[in-house]
Amino acid sequence: MSTVLTRRPGLAKLRVRSGRSPLHLVCLGLVASVVLAALLAPWIAPHDPNAVDLGAALAGPSAEHPFGVDAAGRDTLSRLLLGARTSLLGPLGVVAFSTLAGVAIGTAAAWRGGWLDSLLSRATELVFAFPGMLLAVLVISVYGEGLLAPVVALGLAYLPYVSRLTRSLVLAERARPYVSAYRVQGHSALQICLRHILPNIAPVVLAQSTINFGYALMDLAGLSFLGLGVPPLTPDWGRMVFDGQTAVQHGYPLSAILPCLFVVLTVVAFNVVGERWADRVARRDR
Amino acid sequence: MTSAPPPRVSRRRPGPLRGRSVPATATRVTIAVLSSVAVLAACAGPPGTGTGAPGASYALSAGTPKPKGDIDSFTWAVYAEPPTLDYTVAFDYPQNTILSNVCESLMRWTPGLTLEPGLAEKATNPDPKTWVYDLRSGVRFHDGRTMTADDVVFSLGRQTDPNNAAAWAQNFQNVASVRKTGPLQVTVKLKKPDSQFPQYMATAAGVVASKAGVTAAGKDYGTSGGLACTGPFELGTWQKGQSLELDRFDGYWGKRAKAGKVVFRFLTDPSARTNALLSGEADGGYLIPTESYARLKGSGAGTLYFGEGLSTVNVNITNIKGPLGDVRVRQALSLALDRTGFVKAGLGGAGTVTNSLTTRAAWAGASEETRKAAFAGLPPTERDIEKARALVEQAGATGKTLTVATSSIGQDVSLLATAVQAAGSRIGLNINLKSVAPNAFTALFTDPEARERIDMFPLTYYDSITDPLDLLTNFRTGAYLNFAGYSDKRYDELVDRATATYDRDSRLRIETELQKRAAEQLPWIPVAEWPTALFLNKRITGAPTTIAYMYYPWAADVGAAP
Repeated sequence: MSTVLTRRPGLAKLRVRSGRSPLHLVCLGLVASVVLAALLAPWIAPHDPNAVDLGAALAGPSAEHPFGVDAAGRDTLSRLLLGARTSLLGPLGVVAFSTLAGVAIGTAAAWRGGWLDSLLSRATELVFAFPGMLLAVLVISVYGEGLLAPVVALGLAYLPYVSRLTRSLVLAERARPYVSAYRVQGHSALQICLRHILPNIAPVVLAQSTINFGYALMDLAGLSFLGLGVPPLTPDWGRMVFDGQTAVQHGYPLSAILPCLFVVLTVVAFNVVGERWADRVARRDR
Repeated sequence: MTSAPPPRVSRRRPGPLRGRSVPATATRVTIAVLSSVAVLAACAGPPGTGTGAPGASYALSAGTPKPKGDIDSFTWAVYAEPPTLDYTVAFDYPQNTILSNVCESLMRWTPGLTLEPGLAEKATNPDPKTWVYDLRSGVRFHDGRTMTADDVVFSLGRQTDPNNAAAWAQNFQNVASVRKTGPLQVTVKLKKPDSQFPQYMATAAGVVASKAGVTAAGKDYGTSGGLACTGPFELGTWQKGQSLELDRFDGYWGKRAKAGKVVFRFLTDPSARTNALLSGEADGGYLIPTESYARLKGSGAGTLYFGEGLSTVNVNITNIKGPLGDVRVRQALSLALDRTGFVKAGLGGAGTVTNSLTTRAAWAGASEETRKAAFAGLPPTERDIEKARALVEQAGATGKTLTVATSSIGQDVSLLATAVQAAGSRIGLNINLKSVAPNAFTALFTDPEARERIDMFPLTYYDSITDPLDLLTNFRTGAYLNFAGYSDKRYDELVDRATATYDRDSRLRIETELQKRAAEQLPWIPVAEWPTALFLNKRITGAPTTIAYMYYPWAADVGAAP
């Protein structure tokens, strides 16, 4: 399944695979701090992210507003911190949904084989053929704004990546002697899959999901930038870039550049961490 | 295992030893920090001094310099493509900006916002219920025919034809009949005296098109083929979705247009529009995105003018069945609004805070005393959060939820919605924003379903005539823009009285009463007066700066810059 892991080959250049890579450590630190910021945002944000001060719109950095304020006079730092919540919660939903459903479908297809395999594989390939972003735009236009609709749509779009990976992993595991041994001992298929195969394939699937997390973050930010998805008042990085368009026109694009930077850095961090995990799993002596 | 990635080799190149690279690293880090700070400073506005966004000064110009001569063609940026150019449904900026150069009305609204004869060389009022229009002779339509009284009767008749669903129908509500009383004379009989009707004859309500031309075009009139009107330009190529061309009409009865051709380009994206103006792709445009004022001013590519807009930015209350039904809640919202901040951030500093729904310029014909009466006693524009919160409490509306529509159509809309939300949250109201796609925003005016579950939306209103009644009549029971169903018997009576009064000062005195009632009752919440903005690059000049461009053939005045 090298197609999955090298879906966006450009990022491969950022991989550093030696034992103690500083890039990996930096990225790990970044992931940890973004997650921490998201968790602690309500307590560490210096201002109410929706407190408007139109009189001070687009003001530059100061002691009170270290990252300045946006076109509506809202504190950029507070919005970035609170924005980390929606910006991470969305991809988390996408990854959780696609991983759970993908593993279930992939395992069922590989274990049972035959017509079920054909049916599930063709069905997921059908989803593959439909661009995820378009699917999300379609779902949002039907169900209106909110985080749930784009998350479910993107979750569906990401599902085939996980299910195909799982299918191939389970196919390989199924052929191993320990599985035959369990079968001979009379263990049920469900028991073997849940207790023995799943723990064995989990690291690879989770590594893939970590990489998917970065992509989902980028896709959701893209949807927010188009004005779709999260409602207007919700602090969200993609939405902040969307709101920052007028700031760019004013000639003071800081409030648009910072969320862009956060999206890029977080996506890169998740990719580096995920790919390194994948590398470590791949090198593991099986 | 098929899933395992192929074995990989580290591509990291051996670097210098850590110990030796310390000074170089320190320098690099210092440079990186310094350059980040520099980038940060360059990307951000001035520190928060409370003076707000840049470009916070503006002055109104009466006009633009006279052109030195003719020009082959010029290109004009408009923010949307008109769905049709049929004059009966021309009620929005893009249609009228184009149509005013092609179709002319019985009367004419001048760049100075006064009335003068148009296709009628004389309008007389022998008795309060009769208007007689004597038409110019020898006026030719674009289709080659000559204008007669029959064309006028037919054209005005289209406005009242229920099959046309004309946007101007309500201006004809007092018209009993329109008859030909001579080869070049039309007599309008009114059911009751109507001071507004003759004024509206200078807008698209008074447009005259060729009967034969319109009949021949049938259902396609306005969307394909010519418009069979009399203006200084005739409709040329219309590339749907892209551009529309107007060609000079050589048989025009009045002063010949200075430009041979005008190309209107439809540029919906505000930044694309600004860039087109800066690059010369478009030579000029009205309705400049407010966030681009500073860029256009400082670019040196041309001049940004401001003119009298007869426009106010308001919050249109669309639902008075909920908490906004209590006038105290409306007053509280009005008291809590940061108008000064909105003008600075939302209108690029080019605007004036106001607590009057009508502009000062709309009262131009009034005596000093009447004008003072109109603006005396209006509530102050300063914020008073404490008082506002107390009003909300008194009304028992604390914690109630309201919804305001917003759209990325422009900062005047999006930032006003944000300001309303901020005001509400400070006085104990819970205000949600509902995003509406830019092209769906117009539906808020036309489709009651689009207004469902919306309590208010930002609305910029421009007067089509120089009379405050144009706006104030909207709160009469059953008026087209009276979405909330506001109804006040005394108010209706005053509107009827003002409508029936021809003497300007007497009428405006009645309108001061309406103005006061509207300020107390706040069927809409006034926020700011907003001038028109006009950008002309160095190639062209001559366009009027005032809102008259909606009905005045402005493009005919545009020529080569000296």
